[in-house]
Amino acid sequence: MLKVDNIYKSYVGSGVVTQVLNGVSLEVNRGEFVCLLGRSGSGKSTLLNIMSSLLDADKGDIIYMEQTFRGMKRCETDRFRREEAAMIFQFHHLMPYMTAFENVMLPFLSGLRPAGKEQKTSAYEALAKVGLAGKEKRLPSQLSGGEQQRVAIARAIVGKPAILFADEPTGSLDKANGDAVMKILSDLNKEGLTVVMVTHQRDYAAYAHKVVELSDGNVDSIKVKSA
Amino acid sequence: MNLFTIPLKNLRRKLLRTAMLTLVFSAGIISVVGLYYVSATVGESLEQKLTAYGANILIRPHSENLDVSYGGFSMGNMSYNVHKLDMDTVHDGVMSIGYKDRISAIAPKLLESSSVNGKEFAVVGINWIEELKIKSYWYIDTADHEPHGQEPESLPETAEMVVDGLEHGSEFGKYDIIAGNTAAKLLGLEKGRETEIEGKTFNVAGVLAPMGTDEDRLVFMDITALQELKNKPGEVTFVEVSALCSGCPIDDIVAQIKLSLPDIDVTAMQSVVKQRMFTVNFVKNLVLVISGVILVIACFMLAVFMMASVAERKSEIGILRSMGYSRAKIFCLFSFESLVIGASSGLAGFAAGYFTAVKILEKMELTDGAAVHFEPAHLLLSVGIVCVVSIAASVIPALKAARTEPASAIIRL
Ligand SMILES: Nc1ncnc2c1ncn2[C@@H]1O[C@H](COP(=O)(O)OP(=O)(O)O)[C@@H](O)[C@H]1O
Ligand SMILES: [Mg+2]
Repeated sequence: MLKVDNIYKSYVGSGVVTQVLNGVSLEVNRGEFVCLLGRSGSGKSTLLNIMSSLLDADKGDIIYMEQTFRGMKRCETDRFRREEAAMIFQFHHLMPYMTAFENVMLPFLSGLRPAGKEQKTSAYEALAKVGLAGKEKRLPSQLSGGEQQRVAIARAIVGKPAILFADEPTGSLDKANGDAVMKILSDLNKEGLTVVMVTHQRDYAAYAHKVVELSDGNVDSIKVKSA
Repeated sequence: MNLFTIPLKNLRRKLLRTAMLTLVFSAGIISVVGLYYVSATVGESLEQKLTAYGANILIRPHSENLDVSYGGFSMGNMSYNVHKLDMDTVHDGVMSIGYKDRISAIAPKLLESSSVNGKEFAVVGINWIEELKIKSYWYIDTADHEPHGQEPESLPETAEMVVDGLEHGSEFGKYDIIAGNTAAKLLGLEKGRETEIEGKTFNVAGVLAPMGTDEDRLVFMDITALQELKNKPGEVTFVEVSALCSGCPIDDIVAQIKLSLPDIDVTAMQSVVKQRMFTVNFVKNLVLVISGVILVIACFMLAVFMMASVAERKSEIGILRSMGYSRAKIFCLFSFESLVIGASSGLAGFAAGYFTAVKILEKMELTDGAAVHFEPAHLLLSVGIVCVVSIAASVIPALKAARTEPASAIIRL
């Protein structure tokens, strides 16, 4: 479904060039739960950003369903993120001035056409799926850290994406909340959502079908769990 | 719910900040609108006052002039084919034009030579009220008197009442005369005394202070009285018209009068007009410049605010971009936020500015002769300008927002 082909990436900052990725290749199959594992600074986030089209690679290519990112117009990558992919991050990044429901509606608000009844129903369903039914009208500040992250997950899945990119989704949560989030992601994956998750917590790699270990910008190992 | 829900929610959640910014922005608009209305009204009132320093349109009978001289001896200017001018025709003609609201005075004059105290003298018949509207520079040393030739019961009791309650000029009656300074000396006229003109008794109601103009050597009386004396009912020699010309060129007024009074000479006294318009335009231009400066300051203020807002919400922008919001949409979000602030400031500022102007004019008693006119077009225009200004102010911040790199905008560890 998504192919990472020999990706190179370096950052240039104040004259210093930091080589982050040195020819990373891997493959994500439809319906798979892939975990990118590695120490902090090993380039996991950078790789995930490139895979989700938020960042351009220096060299190499990403191929999503036969389509290559290289040379894609900005409006096409925008469309990819709008219609095919969704993202969650370590921090929930909810709009503090919008309620849980309104935050979940965000993916539908990128146009001038008012969101329809159907989309509102989807938002309620998504919130119910992450166990937040009844808390739709709360502002992010009125929710716990775990609940905030679950709103972010609801926001990610409301548009029924094909692939979910998660960058340390449990990174700022305690064990109980982290476990709950992992359970939700695992359930979503079982319903057919392809998940690519970055983490440095080895325990959570257990949920994945495929664990890709990165170190210093190289793929250390790829372990595939036999079903 | 659509794209604009996001900026609207943001503005509502940060109500205090939004209100403060709107307040400051409105303050700028209040000053612009207030200044505009005060200056327009004062300008109009000023123009009306300036009108008192002379007429700006001259209506004369059509005639062919010929400078006659023979053997080096000039016989002066001789006019042929002088058409007689009728007072009512001229009055009705002038008052039938499209710009008739702009006409502030129509002062007819009949110039005749008459025997005053047994001496042949130039006498001018005028309409007291109309004449005094354009001759505010006249200083008349008046006698304590009752107007001669008016019904006693319609008369004011004291001089103060004349000034307060009635139009200037109504204290003079049909059988009153005013003598120019030189004329009074030559004819031995004194205020309060009586004199004979063409065998009829007139009261010398006042003597003009010396002015150094032709008026020093003239005797003024009521035009109908002179018409009766000379047996020339309705006839006038020439008519001076005073028009207010803010917002319409005097040439248009002249052209309209010409249309309604064919075969009559109508000329604009350009120098009078130009001087008058210069004063009024100066005030208006000054206000325009000040308004421009205020708008530029408001524009920069809004730009700085939006810039800070963009920096503060970098992470939000990143997350929206990660959801597939295009750069154009991000640009729209911030422009719209600015537009909402601008439009509400525009509306609030206009209302408050208008109200302030009315209050100022009331307090300063500047409105005599002119009133504040509210025009919906002004409201639309000013709100429109403010909207354009606020969008212009947000262009750079919104561009910065649109160009935010999503990957680096999203905070992570
Ligand atoms: N925008 C950036 N500019 C410069 N260096 C960066 C930038 N983002 C990340 N890096 C550097 O690249 C390396 C990899 O970062 P990252 O991909 O975030 O690693 P991880 O997510 O595995 O912790 C780090 O050394 C980090 O300092
Ligand atoms: Mg990271």
